[in-house]
Amino acid sequence: MSGLFQEAIFVSLLAATIRIATPLLLSAMGELVTQRAGIWNVGVEGTMLTGAFIAYIAYAVSGDHLTAFALAISAAMVLGAITAFLSVTLRVDHFITGLGINLLASGLTLFWFRSFVKGKAQPTFDSIGTVPFPYLSDIPVIGSVLFDQRLLTYAAFALVPVVWAFLYRTRTGLELRALGENPAALDTMGLNVVARQYAATIFGSALTGLGGAFLMLGFSDRFVPELSAGRGWLVVVALIAGNWHPLRVTSAVLAFSFLESVATHSQAIGAAVPYQLLLALPYVISIAIIVMARGKSRQPAALGESYSRS
Amino acid sequence: MTVALQASGLSKRYGDVVALDDVSLDIHAGEIHCLFGENGAGKSTLSGCLYGYVQPDSGALAIDGRPMRLRSPAEALRLGIGMIHQHFKLVGRLSVIENILVGAGGRGLFLDTRAARRRLAALCADYGVALSPDAIVEELPVGLQQWVEIIKVLFLGVRVLILDEPTAVLTPQESDRLMAALERMRDAGMAIVLISHKLREVMRSDRVTVLRAGKLVASLKTAETSPEELSVLMVGRKVSPSYDHNRETPGEIVLDLSDVYVNGERGHRVLDGLSIHVRAHEIVGLAGVAGNGQRELFETIMRVRPLEAGRISIDGKDVTAGSTRDVIDLGVGHIPDDRYLQGLIGSFTIADNIVLGRHHDCAFRKGPFLDRKAISSFAADSMSEYRVAARDSGTRVDRLSGGNAQKVILARELQRSTSLLLANQPTRGLDIGVIDYVYRQLLAKKAEGFGILLASEELDDLMTLCDRIAVIHRGKIVGVVDPSGTTPQHLGLMMAGQAVSGGDAHAH
Amino acid sequence: MHIKLEQRHGSSLLWQGASYGLAILAGFVATAMLLKLSSADVTTAFEALFRGALGSQRAMLRTLVAATPLILTGLAAVVVFRARIWSIGQEGQVYAGAMGAYWVASSLADAPLVVVGPLAIAGAMLGGATMSGIAALLRNRYEVNEIFSTVMLNYIIVYLLSFLLSGGPWTEAGTTVAYHQTPLLAQTAWLPHLAGPLHAGILIALLAAIAVHLLLERTSSGYDMRALGANQTALRFMGMDVPRIVLVTMLLSGALAGLAGGVELLGVQHRLKADYLFGLGYGGIIVAMVGGLRPAGTVAVAILFGGLSSGAVDMRIQSGVPDSLIQAMQGTILLFVLCGTALARYRLTWSSAK
Repeated sequence: MSGLFQEAIFVSLLAATIRIATPLLLSAMGELVTQRAGIWNVGVEGTMLTGAFIAYIAYAVSGDHLTAFALAISAAMVLGAITAFLSVTLRVDHFITGLGINLLASGLTLFWFRSFVKGKAQPTFDSIGTVPFPYLSDIPVIGSVLFDQRLLTYAAFALVPVVWAFLYRTRTGLELRALGENPAALDTMGLNVVARQYAATIFGSALTGLGGAFLMLGFSDRFVPELSAGRGWLVVVALIAGNWHPLRVTSAVLAFSFLESVATHSQAIGAAVPYQLLLALPYVISIAIIVMARGKSRQPAALGESYSRS
Repeated sequence: MTVALQASGLSKRYGDVVALDDVSLDIHAGEIHCLFGENGAGKSTLSGCLYGYVQPDSGALAIDGRPMRLRSPAEALRLGIGMIHQHFKLVGRLSVIENILVGAGGRGLFLDTRAARRRLAALCADYGVALSPDAIVEELPVGLQQWVEIIKVLFLGVRVLILDEPTAVLTPQESDRLMAALERMRDAGMAIVLISHKLREVMRSDRVTVLRAGKLVASLKTAETSPEELSVLMVGRKVSPSYDHNRETPGEIVLDLSDVYVNGERGHRVLDGLSIHVRAHEIVGLAGVAGNGQRELFETIMRVRPLEAGRISIDGKDVTAGSTRDVIDLGVGHIPDDRYLQGLIGSFTIADNIVLGRHHDCAFRKGPFLDRKAISSFAADSMSEYRVAARDSGTRVDRLSGGNAQKVILARELQRSTSLLLANQPTRGLDIGVIDYVYRQLLAKKAEGFGILLASEELDDLMTLCDRIAVIHRGKIVGVVDPSGTTPQHLGLMMAGQAVSGGDAHAH
Repeated sequence: MHIKLEQRHGSSLLWQGASYGLAILAGFVATAMLLKLSSADVTTAFEALFRGALGSQRAMLRTLVAATPLILTGLAAVVVFRARIWSIGQEGQVYAGAMGAYWVASSLADAPLVVVGPLAIAGAMLGGATMSGIAALLRNRYEVNEIFSTVMLNYIIVYLLSFLLSGGPWTEAGTTVAYHQTPLLAQTAWLPHLAGPLHAGILIALLAAIAVHLLLERTSSGYDMRALGANQTALRFMGMDVPRIVLVTMLLSGALAGLAGGVELLGVQHRLKADYLFGLGYGGIIVAMVGGLRPAGTVAVAILFGGLSSGAVDMRIQSGVPDSLIQAMQGTILLFVLCGTALARYRLTWSSAK
């Protein structure tokens, strides 16, 4: 194998890592805010799937990316509102709520998809094109890995410091962090717990929906049922592994993305392992990561507990 | 004197329970007004109404003479009314300054920590409190955490300060300092509402309002009343908190801990070389400020918590490497401080709770099946013996009052145990009749030859019941004293971790 | 106007029943709206659906056939959820169960049914229990929340099966097109049929339901499981071996889910193919939750959903509506039931605030 070829694979591997990280990162930054506010949303998988599917339908019908993204976000926000209604207002166990959202999303998207493609060829389309940064993208290796990506990828990475600043430097961010630790601290100061938890849940779902939309339009040419394939769950694991801190969550997301990128490049790399087993690798690793994070990771104290006065 | 806050005809019901029944009172600027009464007398409900945290069913409030409706604590704070709650409302993982900034208002999107730090420093200097703004709250001693709460409210510039049992977690000395600080606030013209059931603090107030079963019993000038009169008003009858205290010669050692080291969830030391022993025929009291390792000590003896180093033996048998099952099988009874978390299964019936832990025994089982008949007849007997008031043994325990729930635990633990009884805050939140019942049961077990380890926040109770009192501070026993030769003040100094001369630190 | 939710003091049975009925009705109404949205004829579709489910004796038998695996996966979910162990690994355990049964049955191709049947069933239970056992071990030994371990195991087993069936040792030989399936099992391994399409699996499922009911409500081990769900801490303080209870509960649950996979393989499909098993585990979770986490309710709801999915085939043929309508319907009903049961705990109060 020539050195040039190896370098090309290497660049492609890393560029794919960044691309694959995009939907996970968008979702993770959103769900980070949700979980810091004490809502343990495990409906991420279903929300992401919904975002992907709505983006697909909207783009197939309208042919317009902006419309597709906007509708995907809106649909995800509706799911976020349902999640908040169940876990905050009705105080249903957060896990049960998330499970319900996942099963609902999986059933509805499957049915709507089959109805949509019934009796016709499934529309396929090109994924969104990359927007190279002038000059920067010409840097060898780094240029094509980091600066020849899609706009949303840049946005996802820019979101990390924004979410960090929001959580640690703003009044609202401080209140949300306090909320996830001890809702009574806000309630006794006359701050509305319910409204904040709704907002945080809907915000997280919106970003997860956007992530799903990118998953669809960013690098798939067609929709398949269960397109999200566990990525929503990986986001939740990344939050644990990253100890609910923006930068560490980002590293966890990048680690998962790298693994998936390796699996998809396995044939090019020449790995002797069947590709199905390589595809299973991120799931195996995620269990290992949880094992390793145990004891080091400390979740928000009131995460997953529905607050009620007295 | 001006009336800062006036309540008239406040009533509040929770379901069938009348928590507050037509209560009216005036709070004046420049006074310390004490709300005095038993647990469940309605003190917390009343203060909740004054703070907008509880909405009264009827009645009205007036602030500075103007009628007001407080729909939320936010409105109360806007009107200059602040409150310190019985249970901490701080965020342990955040720093002092962050805790103070939660809900502190302010303009703009970003936090203005610089100005807040300046004000915090000024307030700390005012009251002589040493608080570092960047300290993480959960790492501070409980006494300082209390100050974070107070300064958080003062930060908002309140004129009326309500404190709900603020000294429950403080040593007598810390309480004295707090009272002195409250007196300074009063002298500066603030109105202070102090909720307490400790006579020592009540007597330092200017006026006292006594509540009983949701009703206002009396409103008096403190100078014109006496502790005796107040305690009669509180309970409505004369009580004699004296028990037949047979000092017997203690027998064999039934519980022996030596040099026990235990770490908490976050890896920090919670028991730090603790040694203590309990003999048959004696009650050993455990005095200490909450959070100094009491709960962890009980959990360690029950072998629910792993041990880093040290030895535990029960009835002469080493259980250091043993399991909870081993401890239970040795006949140890345990009355936990959080009865609904550690002691009972709320959604199960009284009968199921009474056989909890014994449900695999042959007596309650036929083959793999539970013997329902045997279980309910055993439960019915236990209920009558331990005076559990409920319709039948099929009642869910989460429908019981605190007192009856505690009696279910007593029924199970006292019948099960044979030699050693561990009681952590067994009277917390109970009314006087049940407290008396619990104590008499403990004394009866002592007479039978049990060794008993009893932790309580009520120093007076420890002093009347115990044969020895061990004081725990930062996970260590800092001294063991004979109750007849000590005073609450003396115990308080030890609880604060001060080495005390003259104390009989090695009384056996 | 001010609307508030207030906790009801003592939940009334009538309210709970009513909220259930309303929730399922709402699910049907929502489904009708879905049909309308996908521009199908609602009456035709529903008529075909119900005729396919109940229209003839054969239809009813097919309903029971479809209900059989759902009863078993539903019971698997009941067992863990009652113990508040949030295992959602039933989906993967179904695959593992079918794989276990297939492995036993294909290795004993020449043995008679009385030998292969029980052994293959045991293989199914072992397969499912292995999966849940891994999750229990991860929880007990490494504090891995079972939600994550079971989700991840679900994906892992699917990839493993996909490897075995396409290129791996179980690939059907001789076909030019890759169907991602094994060859048919020898007839000696097929479960006997009771009537028409109805195979003996239904008896296994009903027996399992009775056994789970007795276990949970009447035995001391069932007491352990319920107590684990109600208050794990109290159980620990009474000296009960919590990790052991977790392990036993998870193994039982996994065995039940594995049984579903085995019964479906030996009774209906007779060959291993991932598509045949898809959704049985998740469907079981819905069945269990809608059935109020009780074995009797689970059987009833499994038959309802079994009827819907077997009727869905007729519906697709007659009105062209995709049979995945049933998945959408199940998800919708679940959500309404969650709302309904939660709301039954509260009372809406209106008060006019000035």
